[in-house]
Amino acid sequence: MRKKLMSTFLAMVLAATTLAGCGGREETKTQSPDGQTETVGSNVVSGADDAKTVLKWAIWDAKKAAYWQAIADAYTKKNPDVRIEMTDLGSSDYGTVLSTELSGSGSEFDVVTVKDVPNYATLVSKGVLEPLSDRIKKDGVDLSAYNGMTEQVTVDGKLYQFPFQSDFWLLYYNKKIFDEAGVKYPSNDMTIEEYDALVRSVTKSGFGDDQIYGAHYHTWRSAVQLFGILDGKHSILDKNYDFAKPYYEMVKKQEEDGVCRTYIDTNASQLHYSAAFSEGNTATMNMGTWYITTLISSLATGEYDKELVGDWGLVKYPHPEGVKAGTTLGTVTGLAIPTSSKNKDTAWDFIKFAGSEEGAKILASLGNFPAIMTDEVINTLTSLDGFPQDEESKEALKTVQIYLEAPYADNISEINTILDTYHKDIMNGDTSIDDGVEKMNKEVSSLE
Amino acid sequence: MENTIEMTKSKKARNRKRALVAYSFIAPNFIGFAVFTMIPIICAFALGFLKWDGNNAIQFAGLKNFARLSGDTLFWASLKNTIIYCIGTVPLTMLASLGLAIILNQKIRGRGVFRTISFFPYVASLVAITAVWAMVFHPSKGPVNAILYYVFHIKDLPNWFGGDLILLTLILFSVWKYMGYYMVIYLAGLQGISAELYEAASLDGATTWQKFLYVTWPQLRPTTFFVVVMLTINCFKVYDIAIMLAGGGDGRLGTSSTVLVYYIYQKAFIEWDLGYSSAIAMVLFLMVLIITLIQFRVEAKYENA
Repeated sequence: MRKKLMSTFLAMVLAATTLAGCGGREETKTQSPDGQTETVGSNVVSGADDAKTVLKWAIWDAKKAAYWQAIADAYTKKNPDVRIEMTDLGSSDYGTVLSTELSGSGSEFDVVTVKDVPNYATLVSKGVLEPLSDRIKKDGVDLSAYNGMTEQVTVDGKLYQFPFQSDFWLLYYNKKIFDEAGVKYPSNDMTIEEYDALVRSVTKSGFGDDQIYGAHYHTWRSAVQLFGILDGKHSILDKNYDFAKPYYEMVKKQEEDGVCRTYIDTNASQLHYSAAFSEGNTATMNMGTWYITTLISSLATGEYDKELVGDWGLVKYPHPEGVKAGTTLGTVTGLAIPTSSKNKDTAWDFIKFAGSEEGAKILASLGNFPAIMTDEVINTLTSLDGFPQDEESKEALKTVQIYLEAPYADNISEINTILDTYHKDIMNGDTSIDDGVEKMNKEVSSLE
Repeated sequence: MENTIEMTKSKKARNRKRALVAYSFIAPNFIGFAVFTMIPIICAFALGFLKWDGNNAIQFAGLKNFARLSGDTLFWASLKNTIIYCIGTVPLTMLASLGLAIILNQKIRGRGVFRTISFFPYVASLVAITAVWAMVFHPSKGPVNAILYYVFHIKDLPNWFGGDLILLTLILFSVWKYMGYYMVIYLAGLQGISAELYEAASLDGATTWQKFLYVTWPQLRPTTFFVVVMLTINCFKVYDIAIMLAGGGDGRLGTSSTVLVYYIYQKAFIEWDLGYSSAIAMVLFLMVLIITLIQFRVEAKYENA
């Protein structure tokens, strides 16, 4: 009997280790939402096998995003003596993997994609990126075309990455809901107060499917707190976050009045913003331009119901009183050269190409937002199949000023940790807005 | 005389050879342990006194990392949460698994099925069952709050994933998930108790409760010791279930749900402050070490008594 029990026990433990042992978040990673298996660690190649120089490029989502290959192909076609080998480090924890990869004695990469500013700050403070300023000056590259983004990531007069992609925030809206409510569509020039009034006017309380939310805020801090930096006078490096209070108050009041889903609900359901908007009961949603391609392709494949969300539009981000329309938040993805690279000159030539107008056109033709936004690029984007055809939506892509969600600071990750923690506390209702902001002020100030 | 010396010599040589063979069998495992566990642990100790971002020159920080701990609100929040979680989880899991083991050790119909059912949460994928819990305890759509609202007429519905309740949710989840595993260990312990002891107790007219108190419980002491030590160590390592239940999709924890291991991860691999995160890890290590030593001391006392 004892022997039998023991063997059952052992069998159970063995089963447990195989079933649950490597549980955790791993499982969420092996499959991407659209059912494709991820391609982490795989290599994608462009150019001839016998090319003189081989550039190794760190990227993510090699199979899902077509632009990596397209850019590389365009470059190797012009430069037949170069071959580009792309390594997919996976998108979910790209920043961490890349930082680890570049730690220690360096890596084989010649070009690395720098996903966001915190990632950039980490790599710069590790001293693993080559400064590009001299090369930029020597080749006479005009940085003014990048809407002031390069200045926000310049460190002690030196730039370590070249802007490649840039996304910015817009207001998405569902025309059907506005039509049914008999409310005029949002406009390209709305103050935040007008926006608040508008979303309240389309809200409809009701049971189940009858409920219409005027607005939706994703759980990210950027979606609420960063309305506060649009006036250009404040940034998250300020050490005083009182400027964010009015926006926390606005959103909390909207939650209370049933204008938007509560943070508690969104958090508990782990509700993705794409699901929230495509349910067809969300009138407006503030979100980045990266959602445009998802929305277009999900409607085309039938994943989203055209009846519910097929008729959508875009307007410029709501802005504070006295600030120009077209002022918005954004992110920048750059390309950089690791100090350990052996092909720095070729790498620079490639980076310059990828970030140029020529590279921008390739990105735009595939529905992605390049760092350079010329009229031609905007035209390419708005003529994409599935892009809303009203003039307002096309106009919405014209920005006047983009404030980065996180500008450069060597301790940006530490600041982010503190702000994210208390953002969650405030939105969860665990602390009051005043107390939460007070803690942000106190703790960011006490950083070394 | 000479003969015996010769004999001990050859015996020694034989013993040495035997030892070598034995070592060679241990070697593959030990080398792996040394390279991937022991050396990194020693390095982590050293890191606690250094300032390093994983790339730039390493600077000596002395006790600065430890001094920083006292003023770090988020560290104290995560320490407090971890301790509350452990105080709640360890005794509850132990009692639940012991109770289950005793019940399922009786000769009842379908006990195999019940044993499997109680073991199932342990083998089920964490991601899947946390998703189920998130639905069951959902603040506005979950059945738990629906019952509170419709049956008990509570208007101010609780948020099980934030504030003061998230730790309770984590404790309940963890008890439910892990009690099956410890139940199996207790079952093995129960099977090991000689039936003669119960027979003798019956002859002396002991009640069921007396049998438990004077036969089962003392006989299970080594098992209980193992269970409590393992539970304590595992509880201090809590991380995944906090992320899955309170992280809200993007894996961020507020002050009500943050735990030590999450904070260590955050400091090490998001902020690349390896020295400071090692210092926090050392605090965790010392806490677990001290508690385990106390447990060993208590166990030894009973052993000799």
